[in-house]
Amino acid sequence: MTSPKTLNVSRRDFLKIASVSTGGVAALAALGSGFRPFDAAAQANLSKQGTRIAYTACVMCPAECSLAVKVENGVASAIYGNPHAPLNSGVVCAKGASGLQMVYNVNRIKYPMIRVGARGEGKFKRVSWEEALDYIAEKLLKIKQRYGPESVIMDAGDVTDRDPYYYLFRAFGTPHTVEHGAICDTPRRHGPKLMFGGKRVEPDIMRPVLVRQPDGSLKNDYRYRTRLIVYAGWNPFTATRIVYESRGTVEAKLAGAKLIVIDPAFSNTATKADQWIPIRPGTDPDLFAAVLRYILENHSDEDPFRRYIDWSFLEYSQGWEAFEAAFRSWWNKKDPINGLNYFSLEWAAERTGIDAEVIAELAHTFGITKPAAWVWGMNGIGHHYNGYTAAIIGTALNVITGNMEVPGGAIDTELVKSDKGGKVKGDDFNKREVTRVINGKTVTGKQEELHMDLFGKWCAAWDDAVGDYPSRFLEGVELKYGPFRGHKYPIKAFIIRTGNPVITGSNTDAWIEALTAKDGDDYRVELVVYIDTPFLETGLYADVILPEASYLERMSLSDIYPSHQLIYLRDFVLEKLYESKTQYDIAMALARKLHEKGDPDIKPEEHWEKYPTEEDFWNEALKVAPGRNHCGYPLPYPQYPVNYKLLGTPDSLEAGRVTIDDEKKVIQGEPVTVQWLREHHGVAVWPMSWGRFHNGGVLKTDSKKVDFVWDYTVEKDGEKQRKGGYAKYNKLIEAAGEPTPGLREVGWEKYPSTFYWFETLWNPYTNPDYARYKDEYPFQVISGRIHHAMSGTQMVDWLGRIPTEDLWMPLNDDRVVEEVVIGPDGPTPTGRKVRIPKATWSIGVIQMNRADGERLGLKTGDLVELETPLGHKTRGKVYLVETIRPGVLRLPFGGGGRFSPGLGKTYDFRDVTPNANAIVDPDHHSPIMGSPIYGDMIVKVRKM
Amino acid sequence: MLQNNESVLDALKTEESRRAFLAKFASAVFAGLITPALTGDVVPAQAAPSEQKNLTDEFDVDQLPEAVEGEHPIRRMMADLRRALQKPMDQRRWGMVIDLRKCTGCNGCNVACITENKLPPGVTYRPVMIETYGTYPNVARRFIPRPCMQCDNPPCVPVCPVHATWKRSDGITVIDYDKCIGCRYCITACPYAARSFDSGYFYGDFEGGERQPYELLPSPEYGENRNRAEGGSPIGNVRKCHLCIHRIERGELPACTLSCMGRATYFGDLNDPKSLVSELIGQPNVMRLREEMGTQPKVFYLV
Repeated sequence: MTSPKTLNVSRRDFLKIASVSTGGVAALAALGSGFRPFDAAAQANLSKQGTRIAYTACVMCPAECSLAVKVENGVASAIYGNPHAPLNSGVVCAKGASGLQMVYNVNRIKYPMIRVGARGEGKFKRVSWEEALDYIAEKLLKIKQRYGPESVIMDAGDVTDRDPYYYLFRAFGTPHTVEHGAICDTPRRHGPKLMFGGKRVEPDIMRPVLVRQPDGSLKNDYRYRTRLIVYAGWNPFTATRIVYESRGTVEAKLAGAKLIVIDPAFSNTATKADQWIPIRPGTDPDLFAAVLRYILENHSDEDPFRRYIDWSFLEYSQGWEAFEAAFRSWWNKKDPINGLNYFSLEWAAERTGIDAEVIAELAHTFGITKPAAWVWGMNGIGHHYNGYTAAIIGTALNVITGNMEVPGGAIDTELVKSDKGGKVKGDDFNKREVTRVINGKTVTGKQEELHMDLFGKWCAAWDDAVGDYPSRFLEGVELKYGPFRGHKYPIKAFIIRTGNPVITGSNTDAWIEALTAKDGDDYRVELVVYIDTPFLETGLYADVILPEASYLERMSLSDIYPSHQLIYLRDFVLEKLYESKTQYDIAMALARKLHEKGDPDIKPEEHWEKYPTEEDFWNEALKVAPGRNHCGYPLPYPQYPVNYKLLGTPDSLEAGRVTIDDEKKVIQGEPVTVQWLREHHGVAVWPMSWGRFHNGGVLKTDSKKVDFVWDYTVEKDGEKQRKGGYAKYNKLIEAAGEPTPGLREVGWEKYPSTFYWFETLWNPYTNPDYARYKDEYPFQVISGRIHHAMSGTQMVDWLGRIPTEDLWMPLNDDRVVEEVVIGPDGPTPTGRKVRIPKATWSIGVIQMNRADGERLGLKTGDLVELETPLGHKTRGKVYLVETIRPGVLRLPFGGGGRFSPGLGKTYDFRDVTPNANAIVDPDHHSPIMGSPIYGDMIVKVRKM
Repeated sequence: MLQNNESVLDALKTEESRRAFLAKFASAVFAGLITPALTGDVVPAQAAPSEQKNLTDEFDVDQLPEAVEGEHPIRRMMADLRRALQKPMDQRRWGMVIDLRKCTGCNGCNVACITENKLPPGVTYRPVMIETYGTYPNVARRFIPRPCMQCDNPPCVPVCPVHATWKRSDGITVIDYDKCIGCRYCITACPYAARSFDSGYFYGDFEGGERQPYELLPSPEYGENRNRAEGGSPIGNVRKCHLCIHRIERGELPACTLSCMGRATYFGDLNDPKSLVSELIGQPNVMRLREEMGTQPKVFYLV
């Protein structure tokens, strides 16, 4: 036993750790660069003595729950959930509570740095903000002058409070303002996007919901109405993105709901399932299709025991007949891989590995149990080449069974969440007219029509095709569609903020190759800037690193997915540590720099003069809240007209302090402000209602109905108009005369007008092109979630000690490591040797079925190498369990092969932990939106 | 070895003799830790009526909107707690109910407890056990948070050679860090492995060598505000869950109860038939861990 160290921490040392760098306010002002110092009162408040509670929002996972943080003498000491925000209703998970170890992590980026070695070497030197911003602005302007602003990408990554960056870079002139949705989840969103104009179908289990009562009062309703929840390829207990699905699922179960989990692995969510269906990876669409076919074939209007379909959906939808006909047209075709009829039970049984009786029972159960929700997820559908087909069928299943928008049913949370951002998103800049000379001709169009994906390879991309960036960095962009067709430009600047695409953005080696590619002596992508709090792998490839203030040191608003309008504030809790700056600080300072250097696109009256303080900026973002149509039952505000847009604070709307514009159909209350939120525990909650699809309501399709058809013609004022989710892309394709490469890959000339089907890649069981690999590569590889946020939190000590999901387990060997921390000059050896005793740290492992392992002569802890048909490899220790389907390996996403020293102890075990994205196919992306196909791969296993 | 407890008590009667006694058993390490008690009684045997005044509602739970039916469980439990605090201490019987049907294995309770009590590396009061059963595809897995059971018949109490641990009249088994000599008999005695020894590690030991700001703050345990960063108790002592005494005595719920992501953790006064915990343990699916040990835990599980 070691003797306790007595460290005398002097008060000065203590303050150095806990507060802004010495000099405080004066130092900030002296930095120039347009940094606005905190006003003295605000600053004093943050570091005052005593204990206080500060309300803010988390970033430890994309749920970004509302928090109540305890601050003692200026130090954050404990993190609780905010009970006033119905989204998490006072809960906080291990990740959220561990935020202290992110904020105070020794490996946090503390100062701006400029690279001194080669990209990837990890050699940096500390510089002043002045120097860093100067470097960036200088390069950006040179790039703009030489290649055009469109050659700059601003990737605002994973954390959703990105508006200051979007605003700046759209003003700068690039349409490439990106967020991680491009690589996360994308095919999963496609069904709701096409059919509702939405994004995320979730069960109606967020409780409490605030509901207007018959007596006129507003009360919290804690009651669950759900009778059945199906989670397919979705693990909400660990992927806590939709946080209320944790307490909501178990509470709904106790209130009588049945839970069915469809997942190749026995996830934490499956542990509470009444039925676990261990499906073969990549076959969720097959199962969904069989369920839909069963329902259509067996529904009976007369027999209440088979009344699966609720025809009232026809009142708020269109195109069902065409959709159904297209779906049925497959039934008589025989699948070449097994000779069976598409979507029949036998066909699905053969492809999914699930018994036909189980599939039939599942379909019947879902059809007959109401209210119900059919919910699908990221790893299951979002990670697969053909995930779109499942998303579309899943959406249809919820609609035709009458479960959308009924109490206890399913809700598209994108459609009902509060708006935010407004003018500070910078949409106006994207609509600016710009001119380019293409093949000698001068062409005019909008800035947004220069977009590399939407008018390039992926005209139906979810905003952007980040997974395809390595190719674009290497080959450049050629626009194929729109007014700028033929325009070619390289990608010369990549600014990445709170994201780590080297690990998460598709194949790791492809990203490294693209970021390190050279033209002569210079890097092809001439400027790479990394902005974040933790130092992740992508930072190793940056030219400039900027320390962004942690979430406890900044102000913003989060993307959240509740059942109704609700918004909460991320507020300053601590003084900014070291020399970190908020996104607002950084964007405004860079704007000033660009302006000083003569950038004509940056006008002071649009930036720091318009939003002189942080609060001004976020107040602008709040002006559009809640921004939804007033509709549904019980009507939220019985005194106001239906289908008018609601704006303003809950109390002003409640009290009638509004102006009503009958022409614009807007009910304008007092705008929500930062100050208002501060006075209300950081939260604004508007009333819940259901049935919001009727009479347009919240739907955002062209037709304001649920669309089963996606390219159709309507007549308006004697004019024929092309409408539907795919119409605008098809118009682009027709004007250009060529389909996208993705479309060609699946054999289409344009986007389909209704139901479609195609196979996924690298699946020997469903796609005949890959059948030949079945024997040599007997394992399908998928990834799963652990108690971490993607790739950004694996340095957190508490989270490293919690074993999770048979993926993140205490299998570390005993090691003494030469400690490396992120110092002022980047990765710096400290000279200390630290011992990590055996089995005290969780490391990423390869989850394998025990019988499979034994057949291969393996035991838990053996190091193996996985190799794909493309020759990509990764290695890790196997963990043999009963909790996964045979023939499947599951790896922790972001859990292994972590080569940034900023990952602390996780870094120390990089050689024996698997990187799920080392083996992703770098050359294929899902054909419609261009997302990486993380879950489509097969491997052979070799013991090391 | 001492003949009987009496001679130990004799030895401990005066500060002087106590030091002498402990000095015989202490290693050089602990020599520096034998200090006079920082405060008098750690916790009073009888709560003075004046203590009731200092109740807090940290997160304004009272201001939550009214419910159609039922209530936010946090509100319900805070009301139960406040009602119990109006009774004399020896009429309260604190207990916990953990509904394993609702625990999602998130470990929020574990980390919330660590941060609330400023626990160092190597000390956890409420780890979450994972039990897995079966053969593919017929498998089951259960998450079992394991705080101190606050046994009515605690095996840890009689084995303590210096009477540093005892069960209060309200049911919580407490530890006097000043009396505890770190012999760890109690750790061995506990059938639930609910006690941990504070070896004196800091998070900074593992990363960078510099202490983290939150581990330089005093811990609120037992209302004593000890700062182990100054090098003293509870380093060298045994520590365990105390149901966040420092919180409940001001009307706040334990950290784990507040945080629980599945809303699976309930706390309250088992002596009050109207409390939520009393209602819950009246169900047929209630059980306790290691019932056969006769420890009479006050932590109940619903399965």
